[in-house]
Amino acid sequence: MGDLREPRRGCCPPMELMRSEAMQLVQIIIPIESSHLTMSYLGNLGLLQFKDLNADKSPFQRTYANQIKRCGEMARKLRLFKEQMTKAGIVPSAMPVTQTQVDFDDLEIKLGDLEAELIEVNANNEKLQRTYNELLEYMLVLQKGGEFFQSAQSRATAQQREIEAHQPGDASLDSPLLLEQEMLTDPSKQVKLGFISGLVPKDKSMAFERILFRATRGNVFIRQEPIDNPVTDPVSGEKVAKNVFIIFYSGERAKAKILKICEAFGANRYPFTEDIGKQMQMILEVSGKIAELKTTIDVGLLHRDTILKNIAHQFEQWNQLVREEKSIYHTLNMLSLDVTKKCLVAEGWSPVFATTQIQEALQRATRDSNSQVGSIFQVLHTRESPPTYFKTNKFTSAFQEIVDAYGIAKYQEANPGVFTIVTFPFLFAVMFGDWGHGLCLLLGTLFLIVREKKLSSQKLGDIMEMMFGGRYVIMMMALFSIYTGLIYNEFFSVPFELFGKSAYACRDPSCSDATTVGLIKVRRTYPFGVDPEWHGSRSELPFLNSLKMKMSILIGVAQMNLGIILSYFNATFFRNGLNIWYQFIPQLIFLNSLFGYLSLLIIVKWCTGSQSDLYHVMIYMFLSPTDELGENQLFPGQKTLQLVLLVLALISVPWMLFPKPLLLKKQHQERHQGQTYTALQSTEESLEVDHSHDSNGHEEFEFSEVFVHQMIHTIEFVLGAVSNTASYLRLWALSLAHSELSAVFYEKVLLLAWGYNNVIILIVGIIVFVAATVGVLLVMETLSAFLHALRLHWVEFQNKFYEGDGYKFAPFSFVLVGEEDE
Amino acid sequence: MGFLVTTLIFVLVGVVAALSLLLCCNRGVSTNLLHVTLVITAAVCCWMMWAIVYLAQMKPLIVPILSGE
Repeated sequence: MGDLREPRRGCCPPMELMRSEAMQLVQIIIPIESSHLTMSYLGNLGLLQFKDLNADKSPFQRTYANQIKRCGEMARKLRLFKEQMTKAGIVPSAMPVTQTQVDFDDLEIKLGDLEAELIEVNANNEKLQRTYNELLEYMLVLQKGGEFFQSAQSRATAQQREIEAHQPGDASLDSPLLLEQEMLTDPSKQVKLGFISGLVPKDKSMAFERILFRATRGNVFIRQEPIDNPVTDPVSGEKVAKNVFIIFYSGERAKAKILKICEAFGANRYPFTEDIGKQMQMILEVSGKIAELKTTIDVGLLHRDTILKNIAHQFEQWNQLVREEKSIYHTLNMLSLDVTKKCLVAEGWSPVFATTQIQEALQRATRDSNSQVGSIFQVLHTRESPPTYFKTNKFTSAFQEIVDAYGIAKYQEANPGVFTIVTFPFLFAVMFGDWGHGLCLLLGTLFLIVREKKLSSQKLGDIMEMMFGGRYVIMMMALFSIYTGLIYNEFFSVPFELFGKSAYACRDPSCSDATTVGLIKVRRTYPFGVDPEWHGSRSELPFLNSLKMKMSILIGVAQMNLGIILSYFNATFFRNGLNIWYQFIPQLIFLNSLFGYLSLLIIVKWCTGSQSDLYHVMIYMFLSPTDELGENQLFPGQKTLQLVLLVLALISVPWMLFPKPLLLKKQHQERHQGQTYTALQSTEESLEVDHSHDSNGHEEFEFSEVFVHQMIHTIEFVLGAVSNTASYLRLWALSLAHSELSAVFYEKVLLLAWGYNNVIILIVGIIVFVAATVGVLLVMETLSAFLHALRLHWVEFQNKFYEGDGYKFAPFSFVLVGEEDE
Repeated sequence: MGFLVTTLIFVLVGVVAALSLLLCCNRGVSTNLLHVTLVITAAVCCWMMWAIVYLAQMKPLIVPILSGE
């Protein structure tokens, strides 16, 4: 709240993960000759987030635009190689352990050469392939056409013979004259019939035939012969089912028409001769050519494969190098060029602990690049809010992501992620209490954890990726579910007497009234969890409802109090006394005088076994606080306590509302008066930094705005205290739903199937039971309980202290660059 | 086992868990503090859950009424 004092280092050592890492704004001046190497070392380190000092320049105006273009071109070539490799079924080998040093310029030339070679080889192969396919089709035409002509000729000769056989025998008068005339027409006068042969796609063949028929007015003879196996089309390169066709026509005009139609239907035409001798010759010729081409193509493919294999060997390394180079130039573009053009000036955020590492990297870069001048590293002072950086490990990162999904923590504010690690799985387990289901969940997640190394290097599906990322969250959830399952005494909804005998027994040996009046408590309370005797009894539901509802409220009040206490730690950390006195204390009083008191009543009622009605007590505490409680009194002095609490709650509302804005106004006025004296101090700092301060430092103080803000905050808290407590009742609802569902599956499926004394029914019953347990309870219930636990953390817990308006630390790191591109 | 005895067991388990964590993965003060905080939070959560269920059954207002069959 405009408090500019440095955050306090606490009395005790700082807790890991509780506060984000201390950050500093650093300036590095790098001589231009060592800038590239410096960036490469810093990228390996990955602990510096550069600020864009050229935000006003477009990407093309920047210093290294050209290099970035080159990198983009190389990346494109690499993508082409990758595409070719996947087509050829070659998998790029994993990163070699010993990396040979590759020069960027050499690599660029090499990539260019390889691309040209590959393109040429591909083009040649394509051409050859096309010719090969054409020849194959030609071969088919020759075969089918030959068959056709042969069969036609044999039929013709048969006919001829028949006619001849007829003629001498009955050269009688009744033989038709016209026919004879026709038969005997002079061969020279015969119209020469032309023919065209080729292939047409099978699905077009009908239309093709029809169009030909219409176009030539029926003056064609078409013969089509389907081919058994689909052939590769030379033009498109796809497998198509085709027909061989032969068209007989007469006249040049008809020929022209037919040719056009062939073209339109994509029918490939091939020359054909009637002469059988020639045909044989051609078949021989074509098959020879085909064999020849086949070997040529095979050699070409082999050549391509060797090229690709060579590429695959080093592909990952090159890819990484190009990505790194691109990110280096990208980062260099964010630095501002010094006036003398001899050095680059970088500004950025780094964690304080990384200072020595960064300086070391800078020195190493200076040494390795044989630069005359070293880089200059200095810390700048700024009032800008630094980025938030939590050092997480594989266990805590998933929990931190749960918090980050709501909002990134403000710089160094208390991180709810710490408590989320325990309370999140705990609240989940309250809703998912069944140690059988918990064990299933645990086995599933242990499988993921055991195979962690193997799975983390693999590419998983979307859902699997999510499960794998949250494996430790699921493990914690499963562990707590087993615990709460033991408390609820449910193993797939079946209770066990694990911790001694039930506390309840029949009143008398005959057990006559056990179904009407009920059992009585004869022993000490069941030591751990819910008494097994409750299961299946008629009073189970009323008992569990009452228990789980009260438990939800107790847990909720405890967690909300934890949230308010965290706001105290935030206030002391940022040395904000106002927030302690005028926010933390009244909030604590308000919540506890209403719902803390309710929790107390619940516990007292349990301990004393009182019959009093808690609803009545709470309602009349507000409606008529001075009335006697009568039979609802739980302990002496309750009325006085209620009055005091009510007054405290009423006082704490204006306490939250008014003092803070007024005091802020006073503080601002005091600072404003003294400003003429304090302004001089800042002249020591560099001009650049001072410039950025100005916008933040002299903020106008709008009283009305601050007051409205505080009013909203107060109303939100007061109403929220009620609605948030009610919201915790979802714990009751979901836990009840879970236990009822699992009881239904157990009784109505498994026990029912068992009752039939039939193996087949039993097996079907077991299958249905397993499917329902996995599908409904383990998947859907897990999801819904997860979401509700998530909400309870994001809203009910975090709104008590968490601002979440920070921004995440995004360092320049090669590891992250690789991940982004995937 | 009464309320206090079991509570004591919870405290003992919590302390033992925290100490064993301190002994077996000692990774500096701030990490230890985180570990101990987590163990204490977990112990408190578990104890609360148990205590609530135990207290609720201590002086029962309703008793199990068996369903007649």
